[in-house]
Amino acid sequence: MRVLERRHWRWPAAGILIVGALLVPPLAGLGEQLNPDSSAKFPIFLGTSALVLSLWAISYNLMLGYAGIVSFAHAAYYGVGAYTVAILFQRYHVPVLAGLALAPVVAALVGFLSGLVALRAVRLYFSLLTLAISQLLYAIAFNWYSVTGGDNGIHGLELPDFLSDYSILYYFVAAAVGVCLVLMFSLVRSPFGAALLAIRENRERARSVGINVRAYELAVFTIAAAFAGMAGGLYALFEQQAYPEQLYWTANAQPVVIALLGGIGSFLGPALGAFIYTELDNQLSKNFAYQFDILLGGIVLAVVLLAPGGFASVPDLIGQLRRRFSRQAESAVAESSGHAIEASDPGRAARIKAIQADRLPADTREPLLVIEGLSRHFGGLRAVSGVNLTVHARDRHAIIGPNGAGKSTLFNLITGHLKPTTGRVRFGGRDITGKPPHMIAKAGIGRTFQITMIFPKLTVLQNLQYAMLAHRGRTVRPFGRADRMYRDEALDLLAAVGLGPYAELPAGLLSHGDQRAIELAISLALGSRLVLLDEPTAGMSAFETQKAMELVRRVAQEKSLTLLFCEHDMEVVFGTAQTVTVMNQGQVLTQGRPEEIRNDPEVKRVYLGELEETA
Amino acid sequence: MSGGQLLLFVVGGLSNAAYLFIVAAGLSLVFGALRVINMAHGSLYMIAAFVTVVVANQLGLTLGFWGGLVVAVIVTGLVGALIEVVVLRRVYGEEHLVQLLATYALTLVIAGVVRTVFGANYRTVKPPAAINFSVTLAGNSYAAYSFFMIGAAVVIGTGVYVLMYRTTLGRNIRAAVSDPELLSASGVNVARLYTVVFVIGAALAALGGAIVAPSQAVNASMDTDVLVLAFAISVIGGLGSIIGSLVGALIVGEVLSFGLQNQYTNPYAIAFVFIIMVIVLTIRPWGLFGKAEQT
Repeated sequence: MRVLERRHWRWPAAGILIVGALLVPPLAGLGEQLNPDSSAKFPIFLGTSALVLSLWAISYNLMLGYAGIVSFAHAAYYGVGAYTVAILFQRYHVPVLAGLALAPVVAALVGFLSGLVALRAVRLYFSLLTLAISQLLYAIAFNWYSVTGGDNGIHGLELPDFLSDYSILYYFVAAAVGVCLVLMFSLVRSPFGAALLAIRENRERARSVGINVRAYELAVFTIAAAFAGMAGGLYALFEQQAYPEQLYWTANAQPVVIALLGGIGSFLGPALGAFIYTELDNQLSKNFAYQFDILLGGIVLAVVLLAPGGFASVPDLIGQLRRRFSRQAESAVAESSGHAIEASDPGRAARIKAIQADRLPADTREPLLVIEGLSRHFGGLRAVSGVNLTVHARDRHAIIGPNGAGKSTLFNLITGHLKPTTGRVRFGGRDITGKPPHMIAKAGIGRTFQITMIFPKLTVLQNLQYAMLAHRGRTVRPFGRADRMYRDEALDLLAAVGLGPYAELPAGLLSHGDQRAIELAISLALGSRLVLLDEPTAGMSAFETQKAMELVRRVAQEKSLTLLFCEHDMEVVFGTAQTVTVMNQGQVLTQGRPEEIRNDPEVKRVYLGELEETA
Repeated sequence: MSGGQLLLFVVGGLSNAAYLFIVAAGLSLVFGALRVINMAHGSLYMIAAFVTVVVANQLGLTLGFWGGLVVAVIVTGLVGALIEVVVLRRVYGEEHLVQLLATYALTLVIAGVVRTVFGANYRTVKPPAAINFSVTLAGNSYAAYSFFMIGAAVVIGTGVYVLMYRTTLGRNIRAAVSDPELLSASGVNVARLYTVVFVIGAALAALGGAIVAPSQAVNASMDTDVLVLAFAISVIGGLGSIIGSLVGALIVGEVLSFGLQNQYTNPYAIAFVFIIMVIVLTIRPWGLFGKAEQT
């Protein structure tokens, strides 16, 4: 997790860990010399095992820690890697090193195919499916005697001569693990890694900045499977065997526990966890095999329960502890109490390059968004029913109506979060009906949500940078440093909306009004031509509201943005809108200029009057 | 395949479906009300199966099984209450990720405890004497116990229906499914309601485990076996839907029965279940009777 407080000690800690790992064979040799009864072979063997576990656990953490995915099939891919080496050697006499090179490829292929199936389902169902996949692969390994050796597995793999020395084998495994770790490390810092973090933080938000969530989840699932396959291949190499229990779903306890032991927030943490785990395993699993399971479960429970808000908050807890010692960060948080909007500079925001809206002809009567006969039914409820609506370019168009009128449903239909039952939506001449949210976002429709939608644990700056990366199609890059890209542009934009001082703070720590400002900045960063604002000033003070709408109006005007917003605050509506559509019970009641709507008796009856009565 | 053989497989499938439905209904009920997928559901089922075997073999053939069943439901219900109060209460409203890991941890703990207490060996128990006989239909012999399982599932399924739709408790549970905040505002102790729901879920797992015990060897990996199937049923039928559990259990039970009859398909019977899951997911990612979850 990219939380600032942790940066200072990250590199030294990693250095100590790496040096420690490199010193295992010489120290074991020293131990042997000092105490002739103990053999150096055993500690080195344990060390090799820990290295392989590190790789396996860190590859699990790619999914768990970075993308927020819980998979129960990871052990199966590890097993696939081990079997690839073993089967190729035993059935086809392929040297183990060649098999090792193929292990990640085969595991990635199996991971990709099963991920394709599992990722049809969302989150929870996805996890259930990975369990089924895992048990299916286990059943194959257990039952396909002629190939896998059935319940016996495959034993007696032969290593090339130069690896027969266990110290050399240790360094060989260490080198392979090292290369994999460097690859994964560069991946998590890259724009691709940024997209994963965005997904973990807020799937909906990730989608609305143009990230194809499913595709990225499938990609990370496949990549993690490849590295798990490599770990499994290495296991087959140093243990010279493969057996079906490796694939059993409870075997996932190992990477999960190791990732939790080491702290899922840090990249190398699981490597430390692997060494601790190996030692625990060594001490306990022979005489207390069953109790060892209880201990593993206990560790997972302890981490999950003792960190309030779940283990995902562990890095935050550490951050809070650190803040107790250095008060700076805390005072910065206290400062952020809704003053960002006050400090905003609409003129400057409008001038910034990041806002790339296409210049449209000044003719405001050109239709930009055309909705025809749009309906959405939930069971018997007609949330939106036969809506026709045209939003003209450069208009500021408000939709009002009592609660339950279908405003939010309409927004969700436009942005692709819901699929319409019937009807069409065209944007700039293109049919976008039923397109997924990330495509619609890329087509140029931005939105803010009724509830605040940001990436809470990322910094304010990262919120913007990652949105820009996603929108500009850069998140496919698996190298480079996401945190260094578009930095100046993002900082400029933050300064313009008054968030400059808070750029490096986790966005979730800011006040409600300031989080709204982040959302607005994200919409601006995306260069949308049409921005949908779902109750943009909800929860803001009167002063914040005034400043926020001033900012919105100014930016919209200078950048030829088209606005479609719904809002309960009639002052905001009549102060900002050029066109007002009134909805009631899923249908359009009427539409007109603000002064026409204000004086429409029907509107007064269903809505305005009702408001005045309650006011 | 002759008619008699067909009947044999169908009945075999129904008796599979019977215990699977009881277990999956518990999983679904808990998910519907608590929005937590309980990975430890299979573990509760396993505890009950072991308790049933041990108690029944102590008490003897006439009353043993019934005594075992009652003790198993009570013990498992208590374990369920403990889990809800100590663990689940802290993870409601958390991300699914946290809930999955917490209940996954419980499966490890319970598996370790069960192996420590009961050992890793297979254990068996005979059906109660009154229904320990066989009947011959269309040339094949059937264990009367298979029909007992089917009957028990019908009774328990009806019981769950009555509980949910004819009692105040059931009304509160259904209200908790749709809007827990409103329910607590109306004066219902939601925390206690959740405990009750979880205990009912655990009791259903226990009934499944106790009823299945005389029909198969009870062993320390039956938690996973049933969990995988219960998940398959939930994915096919839709999480949170009791009707979905019934339909899913019938599909899975029959597919397993037909798949297991043939020596070539036998090892891969679970694969057929999996293929059906994939087909259902392709058409309806939230299952046949489930509700689409937002985001």
